[in-house]
Amino acid sequence: MVQTVNCSYNLKSNRRTHSIRIHFSRLQGTEGRQQASTVGGGSTDTWRDHQSYCQRCHVHLSLLRSRKWHSDHHRLQALLQEPRTGMLELSIFQFSHLWKDPPFVLDVNLGAISRLETIGVQSHGENTRGLEIVCKDLRNPRFAYKKQEQSKLEILGMLSKYAFPLSHNLPLFAYKYQEKFPKDGWKVYDPISEYKRQGLPNESWIISKINSSYEVCDTYPAVLVVPASITEDELRRVSVFRAKRRFPVLSWIHPESQAAVVRCGQPLVGPSDRRCREDERYLQTVLDASAQSHKLCIFDARQSSVADTSKAKDGGYENESFYPNVELNFLEIPTIHVMRESLRKLKEAVYPTIDEQRWLSSVDATHWLEYIRLLLAGAVRIADRVEGGKSSVVVHCSDGWDRTAQLTSLAMLMLDAHYRSLRGFQTLLEKEWTSFGHRFASRVGHGDENHANSERSPLFLQFIDCVWQMTRQFPSAFEFNELFLITVLDHLYSCLFGTFLYNSEQERVSKEVFSKTVSLWSYINSHAEDFINPLYVHYEHHVLYPVASQRNLDLWVNYYVRWNPRMRPQVPVHQNLKDLLVMRAELQRRVEEIQREASSSRSLSSSSELGGTAMHTTT
Amino acid sequence: MEHIRTPKVEQVKLLDRFSNKTTTGTLHLTATHLIFVESNVSGAHEIWILHHHIASVEKLSLTTTGCPLLIQCRNFRVVHFVVPRERDCHDIYSSLLHLLRPESYDELYAFSYNPKQNEQQREEGWQLLDLTAEFERMGLPCDQWQLTDVNRDYKVCETYPRDLYVPITASKPIIVGSSKFRSKGRFPVLTYFYQEKKAAVCRCSQPLSGFSARCLEDEHMLQAISRANHNSRFVYVMDTRPKLNALANRAAGKGYENEDNYSNIRFQFVGIENIHVMRASLQKLLEVVGTRALSVTDYLAGLESSGWLRHVKAIVDAAIFLTKAVTVEGASVLVHCSDGWDRTAQVCSLGALLMDPYYRTLKGFMVLIEKDWISFGHKFADRCDQLDGDPREVSPVFTQFLDCVWQLMEQFPQDFEFSEWFLIQLHEHVHSCQFGNFLGNSQRQREELQLKERTYSLWAHLFSERHHCLNPLYSLSSAEKHPVLEPLTQPWNFRFWRNMYHQFDRSMHPRQSVLKHTLALKESNVQLEATVHALKMKLQKLGVSTSPLELLSRPWEHGPPSRPRSLILGAPLSRKEAQQEEEEEEVLGEEALEDGPDGSGGERTAEGSSATENGYGELQDSFGSKSEPAVVSLELGVARMTC
Repeated sequence: MVQTVNCSYNLKSNRRTHSIRIHFSRLQGTEGRQQASTVGGGSTDTWRDHQSYCQRCHVHLSLLRSRKWHSDHHRLQALLQEPRTGMLELSIFQFSHLWKDPPFVLDVNLGAISRLETIGVQSHGENTRGLEIVCKDLRNPRFAYKKQEQSKLEILGMLSKYAFPLSHNLPLFAYKYQEKFPKDGWKVYDPISEYKRQGLPNESWIISKINSSYEVCDTYPAVLVVPASITEDELRRVSVFRAKRRFPVLSWIHPESQAAVVRCGQPLVGPSDRRCREDERYLQTVLDASAQSHKLCIFDARQSSVADTSKAKDGGYENESFYPNVELNFLEIPTIHVMRESLRKLKEAVYPTIDEQRWLSSVDATHWLEYIRLLLAGAVRIADRVEGGKSSVVVHCSDGWDRTAQLTSLAMLMLDAHYRSLRGFQTLLEKEWTSFGHRFASRVGHGDENHANSERSPLFLQFIDCVWQMTRQFPSAFEFNELFLITVLDHLYSCLFGTFLYNSEQERVSKEVFSKTVSLWSYINSHAEDFINPLYVHYEHHVLYPVASQRNLDLWVNYYVRWNPRMRPQVPVHQNLKDLLVMRAELQRRVEEIQREASSSRSLSSSSELGGTAMHTTT
Repeated sequence: MEHIRTPKVEQVKLLDRFSNKTTTGTLHLTATHLIFVESNVSGAHEIWILHHHIASVEKLSLTTTGCPLLIQCRNFRVVHFVVPRERDCHDIYSSLLHLLRPESYDELYAFSYNPKQNEQQREEGWQLLDLTAEFERMGLPCDQWQLTDVNRDYKVCETYPRDLYVPITASKPIIVGSSKFRSKGRFPVLTYFYQEKKAAVCRCSQPLSGFSARCLEDEHMLQAISRANHNSRFVYVMDTRPKLNALANRAAGKGYENEDNYSNIRFQFVGIENIHVMRASLQKLLEVVGTRALSVTDYLAGLESSGWLRHVKAIVDAAIFLTKAVTVEGASVLVHCSDGWDRTAQVCSLGALLMDPYYRTLKGFMVLIEKDWISFGHKFADRCDQLDGDPREVSPVFTQFLDCVWQLMEQFPQDFEFSEWFLIQLHEHVHSCQFGNFLGNSQRQREELQLKERTYSLWAHLFSERHHCLNPLYSLSSAEKHPVLEPLTQPWNFRFWRNMYHQFDRSMHPRQSVLKHTLALKESNVQLEATVHALKMKLQKLGVSTSPLELLSRPWEHGPPSRPRSLILGAPLSRKEAQQEEEEEEVLGEEALEDGPDGSGGERTAEGSSATENGYGELQDSFGSKSEPAVVSLELGVARMTC
């Protein structure tokens, strides 16, 4: 029994969305043979619930509760309609398939497309051709269409034009997206007030405007914190001695011990062991700024062998004999290319099929968890040095915008509870990642069709994975939930918001990102209730040390394997937890109400204290 | 007592398994426990190890600091002592060797354990669960199934219970004939009845078919089971063994049902490995996770090659098959393995757990274990090595079942009334021999031992501790919506149960537990309600009219015992501490109440390095094992991270 199903195929590029959307709906209604078996553990979660999957063309069918359907007869025909303005009605597919129930929708965000490819599909007896969409978010749906329709297939051209706007001299989609949100996300991060929150400037550190026109270092932000005793002239000389002129600047300062987290690029020592007196004095000043330590700890994120290689090529690392009171540690984290390869393997392991017998060894073969462990362990060492050793640390890798950003932001997340709140985390990303010039455009390749570019690497994804690992170990320490992390990652690729566009603050200013695009935080903060972790308790002064042992690291199945056809979300616990929170808030409110009444009646004093107890127990 | 030569050794070092940390203390040897008391700190940290829990004691070669003693426990605790003098070490070693292998049942802890209950309380404890009532709940006896008294004196099958349910058409001669054709006389009987479809889950042992033997009574028996269910023309016969094993059994005159001889069956192999494979698999798993400085690769590869998760999956798969056959097809199923007391018990009970929400409640789960495991003669004494016996009979069959249940709980967090802690407690007491429930190999043996007269029941104990055993996320509505669970079986749904196999390795646990947190939230709600109530009362007393608020409130005394206020570090405190805190509150009065709950004030707290955060240890304020506020120093934490 074959049902013919209508499938409309919209490539939307209007003001509101930016995705390829494929609608499948039933054309001729005949009842399904079998009663759909509803699967256990249904949820009220509308978010990517109940995905199903077409085995032949690797298409995910969301909204289907029944998974009992056959893929033996499977034909796709493509009929093309004329593109209309704004919205492209690209095609109507005739989709023959055995299933029933409501139509399903496949959304592929155009920004997430990494590569488009036509493929040959041999199996169906007909001469068919197919289209494969390789996505950055670990999936690649495939579509098949009949050969005779091929001539009409402008879809590929249209798709590629809108998926890779930069390669076609089109503006990024973020410039067209003009959704209005009640909250303005661009106001989330203000460097001056962030540094003020940390207690800066103080007697040893000042807020410097030396880079206000980005002339000293074009990848650094305009506002920087540097030692008070270093003159601008010296600063310039230090900057020349550091890779990409990324001289050491303060990222975070300990409120009590004044130990600082400082980041920079590698020193340009070169094979001849060049020295720079100003750089040496600079680091001594950093050490002197925190009174309680006699050793400055430098963490070089690279593998020592790689550092040696780059020393031969004019890069290098601090020579401990030239820098007195300095201790150099290598964190042995591999390069961005290794990470890219690791993610590629991970994708092969999870999509579209899984080797059940060798699941664990195939995960192991990707080394993904190994690198996550390295990062977390490195960040813990840094955090421990600052908190426990009361000593300032300097973190750098090669250019100081990849592994350095990962490490400093993770360490700050462990050290400072502020960054574990929803707003604070946004500040952290804005500060350590975007403003300090993590090369998002190069690493993600927004709107660029050159998918093989060796600059691409999933460093930000790794960072978010580490954060997720931490949230697993400290379920009530973070104000945001898993959905928030996944949303951030989705919009890392989507090009819908301006937040992650371009490589540096300077570029963002010149491209008027702040005025012409919407910030992701506008969206998130306007829907904050969806992203709040109900278990969150704000403990101001807790330092987190996650255990970076493999027993405590898990593959983030909800993210990496979410497109796998057999993936189904588990029963959402958070709804239940939210109910608890609502109930608590309600009770709290009543206590307050009664308290007010009591105090207004003025005849008693003791009851208010009684109320006080309860308030405290819940905070 | 005559075995104990040195009751006390001082200056003993305890080495941490995963780091270089050592603690010094005193080792006490009593008739029932080995106790280590840390000497230096005020908060005397104690480790109590029940002799029955000790699986092996090993004396390692002498080092400069003393004589090392390695003790491995059945509850996955591994302790490594260094005793300064070799003679002391040898004394302890030889005493333990005598103590840890009791030769007769009378030496077991259960017969000396006395929780200060009177006779009546003890009897009530034993009457808590009633299997007759359980079969009534299923709707038995009914028009197709009846209670038979054929095994009244354990004559037909000595490992079965007295009360057995069989098809109404199965006459006594058929039963007796069938039992003679089944290994150990374990003929097909009903264990679960799915009322909605009138389908029965039956269990038995393998037929003694050899290569060609037949038994008409046995064929009649299966016919009767099939006839008792009008929904289906056939009955599934699940042989839970791999086909190869079943074939090998044929040579020994045993084997499996021949579909040609039984007209109305559908035969199916499931492929769960035998007890020896499972024993080796868990052994391998523990070796892997017990390695220090384990790399990610070693861990994942070791986890996979141990095969443990694969075996767990095989059992869950079998249970899903059983569930589908019964609930979807409405067919009756007969489950057997070799003797029908290991894999059969696993599959039947897990299947029932998937089918019936009742078994997912605290009491229901106890009933399930009482029925499918205890009464149907899972050989707890042999499998858990309660007495000095054949080591080849020991196997973690029950542990594996608990592991399966835990995997399900991970997938359906709202559907189980009991918590992970409850499962771990069960595991603890299956081996502790502290309560009478799991002693012996069969119901008959338990009656001979007069356990109900001489020992206490674990179920009563767990009921008295039920506030620890409950899952705060449990929701009845979820059970109503999906009475039958359909778990997923992709490989990532089967995970290493860290809280079980690392339950005593503090540093292995995540730093915060959602469970604890949710409990604390729930409790703070109760407290808030109580406060509202108290305030209202006060207002009323003072004659102030209050707005008509709907009160959900409960009186103060209904609140469960108080919990620590600091949620992150918080574990349920031992009761002593909690009382102390309450007293302090009373003394300090109003000022104290002004203080914040977390007491963190202006001080920075390093988390992950603080004391009371073990996921599970803290709940052990129960018998036998005392709570152990471990001190995980920061160095330790970092050392682990770098390794």
